Amino acid sequence: MDDRGNGGNGMERLLPIANVGRLMKQILPENAKISKEAKETMQECVSEFISFVTSEASEKCRKERRKTVNGDDICWALATLGFDDYAQPITRYLHRYRDLEERPNNISPHQHKDRA
Amino acid sequence: MRQAGAYSGLLCGGVSGRTGPHSLPLARIKKIMKKSGEDVKMISGEAPIIFSKACELFIQELTRRSWIMAIQGKRRTLHKEDLASAVIATDIFDFLITLVSNSDSHETTSAIMEVETVDFS
Repeated sequence: MDDRGNGGNGMERLLPIANVGRLMKQILPENAKISKEAKETMQECVSEFISFVTSEASEKCRKERRKTVNGDDICWALATLGFDDYAQPITRYLHRYRDLEERPNNISPHQHKDRA
Repeated sequence: MRQAGAYSGLLCGGVSGRTGPHSLPLARIKKIMKKSGEDVKMISGEAPIIFSKACELFIQELTRRSWIMAIQGKRRTLHKEDLASAVIATDIFDFLITLVSNSDSHETTSAIMEVETVDFS
């Protein structure tokens, strides 16, 4: 897949530089600086990461004749591709998310009011 | 697109609380996922949310490793070459080698030679 820099829709294949830059900054010391080129390179790397992991997950779905890539497939792909350090916290994150999503009664009255 | 709702406050209050439920736009993540191949037909609502977290971890790790390279070069500004060096030095980032070598093949080659002395274990 090489559509780098092609066409007017080029930016849609990258995550916003502001978000990426912010996440990079969060982990660096106060006085650290990040060149624009480094942020741009990180944008590209993240998109590549997403594609790489998604391809692996979707291949698993294809083999198992499933149409939908879900959170478990992503966790599995992360572990398979060597991102073991991510797989565990992400699996916990996924399970907590599912627990909360399954129990809509947990939404407090305060939040109901906000949605009105 | 599934919205975060009650879950976001509980799980993300710490790190990404200020920027809203997720630090990265879910719709954009989903677009990138769809473009990764012909096979990708349907994506569950939770998948971009999971990726948002995975991308945070990825960005943090690559940034941390790149910063080590910058420090070794006695700099406090992170440059593209630092990312390239970090990628070369880390096995699981092998899928990025072509990407970071594209326009900087000379610098990358010397980076490969230098990086052999760095021990990330």
